[in-house]
Amino acid sequence: MKTINNIIELVGWEAIKLLIGLIGVLVVVVVNALVLTWAERKVSGHMQRRIGPKEVGPCGMLQPIADTIKLIAKELLTPQNVERPLYFLAPVIVFIPVMVSFVVIPFDAYLQVKDINVGILVILAFSSLSVLSILLAGWGSNNKYSLIGSVRSVAQNIAYEIPLLLALLAVVLMTNSLSLRDIVESQKGLWYIVSQPIAFLVFFIAGVAETNRTPFDLPEAESELVAGFHTEYSGMRFALFFLAEYTNIFIICAITTTFFLGGYHGPILPGFVWFFGKTYLLVFVILWFRWTFPRVRFDQLLNFSWKLLIPVSLLNLIVTGGILKL
Amino acid sequence: MALTNPVAIVKGAVSLIIGLGVTIKAFFSPVVTVQYPRVELKISPRFRGHTKLVADKDNPDKTSCIVCGMCEKNCPSGAIVKVVGEKKEGEKKKTLTSYILDFTTCSQCGICVEICPVDALAFSAEYNRAVFTREGCHFDLVKEFEKRKIH
Amino acid sequence: MVGKILEEIKASLVNVNFHDASYEQSGYHLSVDVQTGNIPDSVKFFKDKAFYLEDLFCVDYIDYLELVYFFNRYEELCRVKVTSKVDAGKPIAPTISNSYTMAHWYEREIHEFFGVYFDGHPNMTYLFLHEGIDHYPLRKKAVPVPDEDKKLLNSFKPQEEEDCFFVNLGPQHPSTHGVLRVVVKMDGEYIISAEPVLGYLHRMHEKMAENRSYLQFLPNPARIDYPGALLLNLAHVATVEKLCGIPVPERAQYIRTITCELNRIASHLLWLGAFPADLGALTPFMYAFDDREQILDILEDVTGSRLTYCYFRFGGLYNDVGDTFVDKTKAFIKRMRERFPMYEKLITGNVIFVNRAKGTGIFQQVDARKYGCTGPFVRSTGIPYDIRKAEPYAVYDQVDFDIPVGTAGDNIDRYHVRVAEMEMSLRIIEQALAKLPPGPFKTEKVPKKLKPPKGDVYYAVESSRGEAGVYVVSDESDTPYRMRWRVPSFSNLMTFPSLAEGNLIADAIATLGSYDIVVPEIDR
Repeated sequence: MKTINNIIELVGWEAIKLLIGLIGVLVVVVVNALVLTWAERKVSGHMQRRIGPKEVGPCGMLQPIADTIKLIAKELLTPQNVERPLYFLAPVIVFIPVMVSFVVIPFDAYLQVKDINVGILVILAFSSLSVLSILLAGWGSNNKYSLIGSVRSVAQNIAYEIPLLLALLAVVLMTNSLSLRDIVESQKGLWYIVSQPIAFLVFFIAGVAETNRTPFDLPEAESELVAGFHTEYSGMRFALFFLAEYTNIFIICAITTTFFLGGYHGPILPGFVWFFGKTYLLVFVILWFRWTFPRVRFDQLLNFSWKLLIPVSLLNLIVTGGILKL
Repeated sequence: MALTNPVAIVKGAVSLIIGLGVTIKAFFSPVVTVQYPRVELKISPRFRGHTKLVADKDNPDKTSCIVCGMCEKNCPSGAIVKVVGEKKEGEKKKTLTSYILDFTTCSQCGICVEICPVDALAFSAEYNRAVFTREGCHFDLVKEFEKRKIH
Repeated sequence: MVGKILEEIKASLVNVNFHDASYEQSGYHLSVDVQTGNIPDSVKFFKDKAFYLEDLFCVDYIDYLELVYFFNRYEELCRVKVTSKVDAGKPIAPTISNSYTMAHWYEREIHEFFGVYFDGHPNMTYLFLHEGIDHYPLRKKAVPVPDEDKKLLNSFKPQEEEDCFFVNLGPQHPSTHGVLRVVVKMDGEYIISAEPVLGYLHRMHEKMAENRSYLQFLPNPARIDYPGALLLNLAHVATVEKLCGIPVPERAQYIRTITCELNRIASHLLWLGAFPADLGALTPFMYAFDDREQILDILEDVTGSRLTYCYFRFGGLYNDVGDTFVDKTKAFIKRMRERFPMYEKLITGNVIFVNRAKGTGIFQQVDARKYGCTGPFVRSTGIPYDIRKAEPYAVYDQVDFDIPVGTAGDNIDRYHVRVAEMEMSLRIIEQALAKLPPGPFKTEKVPKKLKPPKGDVYYAVESSRGEAGVYVVSDESDTPYRMRWRVPSFSNLMTFPSLAEGNLIADAIATLGSYDIVVPEIDR
């Protein structure tokens, strides 16, 4: 007991908390990805009137674990002509920003690794990083499909980060804080989805685009680019991209919940149940999109952002500012 | 895309929601698939599996094949490898001793069944024959016939 | 009307020999024998008179090679066979690829199978055979390929250029529907040029036919066009019936019509699922398969197979339909009609789908003749050309149906035409079921060994992709002397380079999906 106290004194209580938090985050990330792969297959199955995985575990719930074991056990194949450092680095880099984003998300009133007063900036800054890894993967693979996919991804991320930010800004204007906890606390009475419906829509659509999901899944457009930027990846490296994709979905939905759906607020049930419930409901909507819509074309994608989402969110911002000033 | 026309945007959004309605309805509808090894569907009586020998009407212990070789000659893909018979003493007709079918090349066209002058061939209903080697699909219809007789 | 055009041809063409042909017997209205040197002039005449190039192939008569050109009109059936004798020792003929773009591929095909050289052809390389050949495969006597010709392989080795790059779409690619390979030259997301490379599924059915009796060739057509197996099965069977003069009982004809239309819907449903999948929507694929399975169940009860049917026989059918067939089919019609609004909501109404498909891959009506396109592809441009109406076979003349046509010839028109065609097929089935007469399902006394009289015959059916024609030359033996398959996907696909050029790769993929190509049919 004494040694523990010594260590705490040595490194500081904050650091220990952070360490435990990070381990917790890692667990959440992995479990979330496992749950989402299973959910994706189940949702797609039932939407297509089949049942999806069923054999491994009850309702096929252990299927993702079986898949993970398979992916880990697979040989790490490296194609001959890849740019080795970039090719190896990309799947590692893709994973870091999504981890960091978890640190600032308030899962419950007291369940947050660290409340930073610029929380939302941290998330946005790091989520922009993930496009770097996609670019590295595309370039490093030395494959034309990968390259086209990654170039698309860069253009798409730049285009959709702006409406993403502008939509959040409207909420920030109303709360006067960049801290996520403050934003959630200010929604105790009225959720921002009611006062900021347009910002919510813009944010959610841009968020779907940011996570490269259908109907905006151009970087990995299966029918055009085989698998886009991760065409040349297999085994665990592919699994890392996969993990990052699902974690990204979760983060976007978690932010939407935090900003617009009142975060952990809700009657009777404990806060984190509400938080995860709302988040996974949004995740379900994203899955639902994927199994309903076709993919937009590249020029349509960019037009949609530059010509519709950005003007609308700007207008929303101006109106919000004007009303607040009055 | 008419991005400046609010009516078109609303109409487009409505069309997307209608589409979502279709899939969510399917989501809550019962599944249409059948989990094959656990549940098996009834095979259509006309299903064309590999060919089998049919028992003679008068003498159910024997096949009615007269070893004329028509099926072997007319098979488009040479799937009927060998039809051998021998003439036993005291019998008028030849008796079939071996009928080798190479099921790997058979396309179930039914020409052999149709061309047989004594209707000694028919399609079996076996649809799930799984074997480990290619040779597993070369089988002797006479032996299959004997096996069926015992059961 | 046909008579008038024929008169005109007879009056205008000089230095040629006319042979009047009996349409009832041979399937074409007029046969014209042209000197090799006169081919371009004669062909130009047909081009000016708005004929489309139906088929172009070669027949080896040992002493000489005969080039056969089939011309036909979209407006009314007027099939003209133009033949030209080419020296077997040193076969050279002028190209017609400057008049008919489609001849590019036909001539390359003839070149690699017969060794005929076409003067003025811009790219005289092999079309199907990637490994090269030692002997020309369709020649009756072994003719070795000259050493310098063995290099004419079409394995495309692109030259690197500035500001562009090459992408091989296929043979292994999710959207090439099999093993089609398209070499695409791209500038960023835009396609500068696209060239299909064929032959990854080439099996030489035409040579197989020469080594088999007419009966033994029965399973093959199903392998040429697997989603529409019955339709091609019918093409083969009906051709032989026409050649030998075998009558077919009325009941058999009705059942043929019904099963063929069921098969056509199944084929279109396969496409209906695959096309949105090319655009990224994966769920309609499963819904379409659900419906398709219902058809396969019905057809399995009738034919015993689910995909590669071999059901029609010379003079009738393999067996009669079962007792439950009529009820089951009626139930299916009801079900299918209820399903169309769902597809409408899910696909046709979807704004993303409409924006992707509308105005992309526009095929101009005027170009159709140059390529000899047929089927829904040409109907989407507004040409109401359908073999079922133009040249009714089976009992299509006794049922009432319309030909759905499009206007713009873009991807969404092709979509609408196919969906309307499915509804039309349901209408045909409904009428045929109501009229289904009792009686025998097969003509008695069809000889087990068919030996058709000497002569040739062309017979076409409307497959789910367009005009599928069979040309058979008989030499009184029990095997065909030459059997030629005119397949719709081949001539439809030829238009792809021009539609893809200058477009985004995503649009090109959508366009390729809208063709409903079947690669085994293209490669044969």
